Amino acid sequence: MRGVDLTLGPLAAEGFVVNRSGIQWLYEDGHVCRPNEVVAYCNVSLDPAPGVRTSGVPFAAERELQAALAPRVAGRLRTGSGTSLGGHLDTLKAFPWEADTVVGRLEPLDGAGWDTPDIAGALRVLMLAGRRATALADVLTGLLPGWHNRTRGWWCDGDTAPSTLLNLGICDTDGPVSGDRGAFLEMFEHAAGPGQIVVVPNHPIAPCAPCLLEQFTRTPAERQAIAADLATALADPAIPATSDDWLFAGSFAATVESSPMRETYEFLTPGGLRQGGPAEAVLLSLNVESFNLMRHRTLGYHLHLLPFHRAAAGPAIRAWLAKSFEPVRRSLDDVRNDYLKLFDTVGGATGGRFLILNRMSTSGREDITSYMPFDAPMSHTLANVASKEMNLMLHDLADARDVAIIDVDAIAAELGGAAHLPDGVHQSGTMQAVVRSEILEALA
Amino acid sequence: MLVELKTPVFIPEMKTALIESVYCAEGSELAMGTKLLDVSVDLSGAFAQNCPPISYYRMVLRDRLWLRKLLLAPGEHCEPGDPIALFSTEPDEPLDVAPARAARYMTAGIVYHEGMWSGRTA
Repeated sequence: MRGVDLTLGPLAAEGFVVNRSGIQWLYEDGHVCRPNEVVAYCNVSLDPAPGVRTSGVPFAAERELQAALAPRVAGRLRTGSGTSLGGHLDTLKAFPWEADTVVGRLEPLDGAGWDTPDIAGALRVLMLAGRRATALADVLTGLLPGWHNRTRGWWCDGDTAPSTLLNLGICDTDGPVSGDRGAFLEMFEHAAGPGQIVVVPNHPIAPCAPCLLEQFTRTPAERQAIAADLATALADPAIPATSDDWLFAGSFAATVESSPMRETYEFLTPGGLRQGGPAEAVLLSLNVESFNLMRHRTLGYHLHLLPFHRAAAGPAIRAWLAKSFEPVRRSLDDVRNDYLKLFDTVGGATGGRFLILNRMSTSGREDITSYMPFDAPMSHTLANVASKEMNLMLHDLADARDVAIIDVDAIAAELGGAAHLPDGVHQSGTMQAVVRSEILEALA
Repeated sequence: MLVELKTPVFIPEMKTALIESVYCAEGSELAMGTKLLDVSVDLSGAFAQNCPPISYYRMVLRDRLWLRKLLLAPGEHCEPGDPIALFSTEPDEPLDVAPARAARYMTAGIVYHEGMWSGRTA
């Protein structure tokens, strides 16, 4: 049967040698591949070329650097023997990346072959990079393994830096964007053109508009004040800090130090290293916007923690939260105004535009026969009324600013909320696929 | 006539519900539309998981009854079918007979509020 050799293709970085690990196959020999379906990956490193002096190494902060491999056309995969060596040799970057390395074969499904076998055989490379929340989080096996405070991926096509979608949402965006393997494979398989996806998890500050805006505009002096206040709390002998407190504090401090919406990125492409960013598009979750936030009593900054992240803190942090923060209540107008400030500030500084997933606003599980028992404003009590008002507010925002609404409410209603969105946030695979296609369409 | 309130199936996948707030006291006369209690349903069950799928519901009476016995308190779990409360249509009926019917109520999805038991213990 005619087939083509699957080759790695070029990856270059001037002054550096690209090294790789053995190949880790995601599927068995004989798997029928879709176009752009990632079928294997290897770990990658950039090491200074012999005789080259360099003051820095690209991707130094991104300890997880991987090349995921995908055939450009559909076919039957034949995994190359000897490409996987097992053990540490499939994690350590011990082999040079060579463009003409054959890692397997692709056989046509119809027996006829391809008109352009060179293209069919040239694997498409999806670069993946993870910046660890701590260098200690050295999980070595898997696609983007471990604990990261930023992960990203981009197709290694062309010579220019791709445009970027930055995901700053919560579970309802993370599922569709990161996909089943946590490495954006489904997004990239269906994306029409080149691009980068970046995910910054909400560890521990929930990404509501006031917190994101303050993170974006925070001055060095304000950061120092926050750090000093936190250090004082952890040093209080009355409530000794535990390891949970220190871990929480470390993650908190990292979130305070910089804004993902200002970050720039390095790219490894067939033509060499490129620079790009900040993100052209930012994805948010309306589900994270709460009417109830916390505000620091003296420093004035806002804080929003999802309950299960708050539960991850130890006694010292909890005491600090109780003592140093006061509850503040936002109205619907406040939420809208916070969004407007965020859009205008970030848009003015970076040109970034926003996409927002709205909320499911119906439930087949309640049987309200009369609204009389519920005091006005009903949105303060009834979850679906609150969601409807929030969704309408979002439409008002979209009239006033260039904001794309990803209509989770309509998608859930069409697919069936009970089966595909049982708690209003966590979607089925089917629903994630639809949300994903809506995001890609909004970006097009 | 004795009337009972049992834990409904808030979500088909649920195992238990947690009583978060109780709004009425034993011995009180409850009018139609009285809010009875709030519950949370955590689909992740007893095993802690990231971003647990928790939703909140309020049960509101669609009856006019006297509350005779509250069988659950905030912080206690109940499974579908577990008795929550016992009512009567007259204030001083004896309680040693079987309930004649179920209480009429409605269920509404609500937003989390600071008065909930889980908020006080977080």
